[in-house]
Amino acid sequence: MSDAKDGARAPGAGRSGGAERTQIRFLTPEDCRIHLGNLGALHVTMKNEGIYGGIYTAYAFPVAYPNGYISIVQTAGDQDTELGVIRDLSEFPEGDAALVRQALERRYFVHTITRLKSIAMRFNMLFLEVSTDKGDLSFFMRWAQDRAVDYGQRGKVLIDVDDNRYLLPDLDRLPAKERVDFQRFIYW
Amino acid sequence: MATQRSALLNREIPAELARALAREGRDPASFWLSAETDLNLSGKYEPVYLLAGADAVLVASPPRGDHASPVRLSLAKKDLGEVRTRQGIGGGFVEALVDGVYVEILAYSNARADTFHKAVKKLEDWRKGREVFVGPEDDEDPRKCPRCGMALEFKGDLCRRCINQGAVASRVLKLMRPYAGYAAIMLSVLLVILALQMVPPRLVGMLVDNVVSVKAGSGQMLRLPLPFWDAFSQAVLASNPDMDVHVLGLLFLVGVLFLTQLLMGFMNMINGRLVSFVGTQITSDLRKQLFHRLNQLSVDYYDRHNVGTLVSRVSYDTEAMKDFVRQAIQGLLAQMLVLVVTGVMLFSISWKLALWTLLPAPIVVFASAFYWRRIYPRYYRVWEGWSRMNGSLSSILSGMRVVKAFGQEEREEGRYARTNDYVRDSTRGVEFTTSLFNPVMGLVFGMGGLIVWVVGGRGVIQGAGLTLGALMAFLNYLGMFYAPMTNLSQLTDWVTRFLTAAQRVFEIMDTAPQITPAARPRRLPDPKGHIVFENVTFGYNRHEPVLKNVSFEIQPGEHVGIVGKSGSGKTTLVNLLARFYDVEEGRILVDGIDVREIDPGDLRRAIGIVLQESFLFRGTIYANLTYGNLEATPEQVLTSAKAANAHDFIIRHPLGYDTYIGERGAGLSGGERQRASIARALLYDPKVLILDEATSNVDTESEQLIQEALSRFTAGRTSIAIAHRLSTLKTADRIIVMEHGQIIEKGTHEELLALGGLYHKLVKIQTELSREPSVDSLAVRKARGAS
Repeated sequence: MSDAKDGARAPGAGRSGGAERTQIRFLTPEDCRIHLGNLGALHVTMKNEGIYGGIYTAYAFPVAYPNGYISIVQTAGDQDTELGVIRDLSEFPEGDAALVRQALERRYFVHTITRLKSIAMRFNMLFLEVSTDKGDLSFFMRWAQDRAVDYGQRGKVLIDVDDNRYLLPDLDRLPAKERVDFQRFIYW
Repeated sequence: MATQRSALLNREIPAELARALAREGRDPASFWLSAETDLNLSGKYEPVYLLAGADAVLVASPPRGDHASPVRLSLAKKDLGEVRTRQGIGGGFVEALVDGVYVEILAYSNARADTFHKAVKKLEDWRKGREVFVGPEDDEDPRKCPRCGMALEFKGDLCRRCINQGAVASRVLKLMRPYAGYAAIMLSVLLVILALQMVPPRLVGMLVDNVVSVKAGSGQMLRLPLPFWDAFSQAVLASNPDMDVHVLGLLFLVGVLFLTQLLMGFMNMINGRLVSFVGTQITSDLRKQLFHRLNQLSVDYYDRHNVGTLVSRVSYDTEAMKDFVRQAIQGLLAQMLVLVVTGVMLFSISWKLALWTLLPAPIVVFASAFYWRRIYPRYYRVWEGWSRMNGSLSSILSGMRVVKAFGQEEREEGRYARTNDYVRDSTRGVEFTTSLFNPVMGLVFGMGGLIVWVVGGRGVIQGAGLTLGALMAFLNYLGMFYAPMTNLSQLTDWVTRFLTAAQRVFEIMDTAPQITPAARPRRLPDPKGHIVFENVTFGYNRHEPVLKNVSFEIQPGEHVGIVGKSGSGKTTLVNLLARFYDVEEGRILVDGIDVREIDPGDLRRAIGIVLQESFLFRGTIYANLTYGNLEATPEQVLTSAKAANAHDFIIRHPLGYDTYIGERGAGLSGGERQRASIARALLYDPKVLILDEATSNVDTESEQLIQEALSRFTAGRTSIAIAHRLSTLKTADRIIVMEHGQIIEKGTHEELLALGGLYHKLVKIQTELSREPSVDSLAVRKARGAS
């Protein structure tokens, strides 16, 4: 058993004032450090406040600003508390930024499609074989508009029957034949 | 602790991992929980195991080197706080509370979400010292088809694989069985029409060869292989010997042609009417069946399905059935028959020429197939464009006040223009291609005709066995021969579309209502209004419980208020009591009977609900008020409306209670709609009255009047009132305070104020906001009252 006593602040401790709950607090490298605590949990040390453990990260604008406006949240029993928002990740030291990116990758388990090998309709379901950043995969999804949703102007997020997500960031980047095949079924 | 095998929660540990664990002195057989995930904590695919033994939880994976440790994390039971799952995007995490901090110990993709949701429940029981059972029953997954194992969209969803399309086609035929007699008549009529279609080219051939091309007065006898010709010509010539027999033949043939056309028109009319009669009957029957099923489906179904899509299924997909009749009889069958019969006619006139005409046939078939396969999907884009444009227009027009208030007219014009441009471009895409395809097809057909002219014309000139009349008949038949070829190339597409539409219809028909009446429902003829919630857990989405182990009891005639922040689970409580949804765990009793066992009609009769969103139907105010009680007398209607403080505004309308109101109560203000819906509930006369923010849209004075009326009405009945305006709950016998799906406080207004918890805080906030006497003075009043 690891010793997890690292002096991290318990959930809900600290920022509880009314004004703080209604105002966005932007985090800067000057007032906070991002690091790992015991058991590899993400921690944030805030200047003049202390250490916050049990942190997760969330994009505010995953499509428009994937490198900025990242919310840093402390998870608690039933209520999560946002500690602040990182306006631009590149302002942070590389080590801190890398930890935030890793946390984002963990939270957003999304396959980015690079090639469409085949797409076919059976049983009113779409069966796809694709190459992704996580390797070659095949999956099937309901043929419905809420299962292939817009991602920016030219992209699509496909959601399979298990709620797994597959991102096509830009349809125009697919080879012409694959794009035509894709749009034969997902035309919206 | 029982440890029967479960394929999900007690998986066999891979040999490599088992050996590595054994090397570290851990007995692989000692783990009562062993669940495999597909991701590591970096979000990469890797098999990782969550293991639990007697005293510790381990996260381990097969080691990468001979001497590497397989254990990635080990947490002793005594140091372990809450274990829970937390949803990410496309996956989730198992988290453990260690020294006051939640630590992610394991990641999983959504494909494994159910496994770890179950594993965490077991771990929590184990951590709290409860007995844990792991067995094959843990492998049951309501989101997998029990027949083929395919993942379902939601619990109770229908497996698309198991409703195969062959079954759909046979079901459509079964559906049409009552109309088999009509189908036989339609087929006979069709055959007659087909036979009639074959007549004119032959007659034209005779006209050319036997009548027109023979010189008048040549004295040649005129032979026409037609019935009645000989008798007719002899009779006419006997009475008029000077008449030219060829002119007579011309008139006779034109007469027969006219009769043929007349008969064909008549038969087409009969056929059209039959198709319309049978088709509309099938559609109408199907719509009734479909609506009946939609009525039976639970609220949950409507949470998961877009109403627009359902409307489309009821309206348009059922139309596809009518199309089926039309296409099956007039399209598919007729086209095939035309193709065969005209083919026979062509070969019977000249088999050599007929072979020439088949030259362009492959081009026709392949070009049509290409067209329908590649171009047809572009039509979808046009329809999609129209739907976007209409959606955008409807959204802008219904929000015109907001548009104007924010001065965004120009932006909205731009937004509308973009959707309009999309429709324009997608329509052009289709029409440009069609405008190429149609002339190409025309050219191909023309080529067929030209070949016939070249080859056949030479035959006529050289007198090689082909007459001019035969050539003309051939050309007529040729036109009839090519047409079905293009249509039959669409056959696959048509069948696919039809079967898809039929499947969508059957999908609704086959959806089992999630809220089903008990096999032997228990009657509740005289409800008392005693309500018990027993360890109720429920969530609208997987793994996201909205209510967590909630228990409370309401005595008959008791008035209970429920308060809490938004999202705390207040409305969910009443949704479950009214059985709009069924609980996942625990049970709800009304008069000691589980609501799932009570006759649904009796349960609905016992409970009346007034919702914050007052839904009124299109119709008169009177019809809306008596919606739940059609036998209400005018006196009762007036009394209820007066009690709900609705009477005065209704009577101000020129047509009073007979005033027509529009969709969703259009024509009435928010407060008026709410008062009308309260009157409707009062008229329903339920034993248990639920008010879900029922007076949130009325002014304070009206609210006071309604509250007075309600307190008169609810005397002797059980009432549950959800309210944000806490002043309305002061007279409640008891108030339940909810937070995050759990009851955190219970008691009277005074008791809760004295408790100084969340209720006290909420009252204080509202008191400050309304500048009413402070909470402290409320407490003082209570103290005085008590003394």
